[in-house]
Amino acid sequence: MSRRIRLLIAALATVVLAVAGVVVLRHMPAFGAHPLPYGDAINHSAVTERHVTNMVTAVNFDYRAIDTVGEEFMLIAAVTGTLVLLRGRRGENVSDAPAPLQGHEFPPRREALTAVCRLFLAITWVFGWYVVLHPQLTPGGGFQGGAILGSGTLLVYLGEDYRTWRRLIRSRLLDRVEAAGALILGLSGFAALFTHAPLFTNVLPLGRTKAMLSGGLILVENGGVALAVGAGFVLVLLEFLEETRAPKENAS
Amino acid sequence: MKILLALMFLLAASAGTGVVLTREPRNQVIALSLNGLALALLFMVLKAPDVAYSEIAVGTAVVPLMFLATLVSLKTDKPKPERQQSSHRPRKHAT
Repeated sequence: MSRRIRLLIAALATVVLAVAGVVVLRHMPAFGAHPLPYGDAINHSAVTERHVTNMVTAVNFDYRAIDTVGEEFMLIAAVTGTLVLLRGRRGENVSDAPAPLQGHEFPPRREALTAVCRLFLAITWVFGWYVVLHPQLTPGGGFQGGAILGSGTLLVYLGEDYRTWRRLIRSRLLDRVEAAGALILGLSGFAALFTHAPLFTNVLPLGRTKAMLSGGLILVENGGVALAVGAGFVLVLLEFLEETRAPKENAS
Repeated sequence: MKILLALMFLLAASAGTGVVLTREPRNQVIALSLNGLALALLFMVLKAPDVAYSEIAVGTAVVPLMFLATLVSLKTDKPKPERQQSSHRPRKHAT
């Protein structure tokens, strides 16, 4: 395709997009205004109906938990796909020993860096578990907490070295942790079927509003999501980082 | 509140522009991470702390790290091409 035609197409697309953009912008609601009634309905009834104060969690893990299951399994499929692609190249017999690093060797870490990283690892993990365990009260939940816990382990890599991080990360165990997390989420959905209620009905006692153990199944589901997301993140990071160290197959 | 909101929008927009204008891949990863941070602050101001958490964990930590890992693995596979690479974004490792 010649340069002229490409420019012509680009100009045409720009004009169409600009016109369409202006039309859409003119019909948009004012900034901050939301014309849909769903949010107001949830804000109005979730505290009394489900004994939770975080409405986002109430929607994600109770009223529309089925959507969360879809997202969760999308994540699992993505993680599995990445693992199959990358681990497949490393071979099925994955060991917990790090692949040899060719070429450059890093100097040992300074003591100050190690100390700071250990301190922040402790803080990050405490905070991560706090986020996981209080989904019904404060912002956050299983996904956010799991992501904090999973990526927090990288502070070991930063503060100690790759070998130490790799020794802590048991990939076979994490495979199971991820599957267990997904299973917990799925089972808490099916739990309702034993009481002849629809899928993802909150069958556990709801507890007192603002107590740590409140919201019924919401807490269990978040725990499952946290396990699956945390393990999934670590597994993907592990495969990506192993990739940087994989020895050349067709070395010249 | 209005001024803070405007400042945050400006910050997010300039951080995004910064990502596009940074050409060296490793610096671009840092710019991407900063952009994630700016977006997280914006979400915070817009009273969406749940989304801000996700953005910080995914957008400023994990995704940049994956890009870095990909860059490193490109470097170990081909020792030389640093000069040519600086003009466009790194592509995913081809097997």
